[in-house]
Amino acid sequence: MELLVAAPALPLDEAGKYVAGAYVVFVVLLVVYLAIMAAKVQRIERELRDVAAIAEEKKGAQAAPGRGSETPLASRGSGGGGTDV
Amino acid sequence: MYGKGLKPLSIATVAMLALSLSLVFFYAPLDADQGFIQKIFYLHVPLAMVALVGFIVGGVFAVLHLRSDDRKWDAYSYVSIHISVIFGVAVLITGAIWAKASWGHWWVWDEPTLVSFLIVFLLYATYYPFRYAIEDRDRQARYASVFAVTAGAFVPLNFMAVRMAQSLVHPRTFATADGGLPGEMMLTFLVSLAAIALLWTTLVKFELTAKSASGQVKRLRRALDAPVGGGGSRIAPEVS
Amino acid sequence: MTPSRAAFAAILAKDLRSELRTLQSLPAMALFSVTTFVIFRFGLDRTSLSGSLAAGVLWATLLFAAVLGINRLFVAEREEGGFDAIRLAPIDRSVLFTAKVAALVVYLLALELVAVPIFAIFFLEDAGGLGPLVLVLVLTDLGLAATGTLISSMAVNSRARDLLVPLVLLPLAIPLMIAATGATEPLLSLGGPSYDRFGTWLMVLGLYDLIFALVGYAVFDFLLED
Repeated sequence: MELLVAAPALPLDEAGKYVAGAYVVFVVLLVVYLAIMAAKVQRIERELRDVAAIAEEKKGAQAAPGRGSETPLASRGSGGGGTDV
Repeated sequence: MYGKGLKPLSIATVAMLALSLSLVFFYAPLDADQGFIQKIFYLHVPLAMVALVGFIVGGVFAVLHLRSDDRKWDAYSYVSIHISVIFGVAVLITGAIWAKASWGHWWVWDEPTLVSFLIVFLLYATYYPFRYAIEDRDRQARYASVFAVTAGAFVPLNFMAVRMAQSLVHPRTFATADGGLPGEMMLTFLVSLAAIALLWTTLVKFELTAKSASGQVKRLRRALDAPVGGGGSRIAPEVS
Repeated sequence: MTPSRAAFAAILAKDLRSELRTLQSLPAMALFSVTTFVIFRFGLDRTSLSGSLAAGVLWATLLFAAVLGINRLFVAEREEGGFDAIRLAPIDRSVLFTAKVAALVVYLLALELVAVPIFAIFFLEDAGGLGPLVLVLVLTDLGLAATGTLISSMAVNSRARDLLVPLVLLPLAIPLMIAATGATEPLLSLGGPSYDRFGTWLMVLGLYDLIFALVGYAVFDFLLED
């Protein structure tokens, strides 16, 4: 089947660069994709933190109903929460 | 639960990829004509096959979406197409590298498979601006499914047409995986194919899981009467 | 007549009438084609064409004219509220698809009735291939009409409708172009028309038409839900 191939085989060091290049492209694309997903996951973590803070506030407001204070809706607590590694 | 099974799936993918790479570089014999360059095929061809199947799978999900009106199928369809497009970029770049190494040019019109793939890629690349241009979410999902079905029907037809356009004088220099491959090469190829297919599935599942997590957060926010943050994508369908 | 057929005939007649009444895009498309031919004359620096060059110039021009003209059919419909009337009517909505495709085919054929003879006058030495060319034109128009109707029905509800149709339709039309030029090239060759692989290319065109007519017919219902 490979009868009329016009392309001669490149010497190994030459060819190696191309083959390596192809695999490098593949790896780079994969890693870029993972980096983008990492950013997404970070955003999810941040949002969950916010939501947890909001939930805790609501819980606090429920425990002391007579307060009648308006809980600020967008509380971005930077602290709080676990020291999970 | 989209994340279920993601861990074993990724482990299987990594194992298969490792096995495939080992076979490619330590086991598969050197091709008589192309030499070391031929090793690109173990990457390029599986990527292409999986991408194409992925497009068709996206079309199948689209049909399910149209019939059931369940938005989750739209998400499946979108992600399948999305990952396949990314694989498509890899196919075209590795194809160009192979062309340069074999013919001295970064692109050749002689390879019907590569040219057909380019056309398919160009079509699916329009999927994004197409979705973006339709503002109403429901309509966007429905129209996107129609697009995915039409494009899915297009793929085989396109391959046939391009192949026919090739002058019968040019021999096919692409030593494909069908017929004539010695046993070791065939095994290596099949393992590589399995590895790339697993990779595709893992990435699709991964993406769906991330979308689902986002969706759950939104759900939580709504349940707490908290403001649902902006930051939702205009085109990527939501999953919850 | 069954209700479907009656509806089909009515929509088709309405479309054609509105086109004849507005007289907007048909002359414009014809003009565009002729001007494009002139551009090709200078762009390629040729005063006569044959074979693959002739086929390429002809089909590229027809394709771009078609893509430009396709939106017109639906833009007018939408602005006149035609879509709403159809949605309320108790008929199979896929009939609308068939009617649209038929109207678009008539439209394209009318365009070609003007553009192709002018092309022949401008560039061809020998008009022997024009007869069989009609067959190629009809089959290609069917394919363009099917996918064109499908895409423009969706594009009309979008923001970037002028951009969307060319963007999405062009890749879809590539197999049509491959087959059309494949069949046309030998017809316009220097030594007189030849029928090299003519039947095969016609079959490819027919297959394309069949597949996309079916796909369009099947999914068109989903496009009109609201």
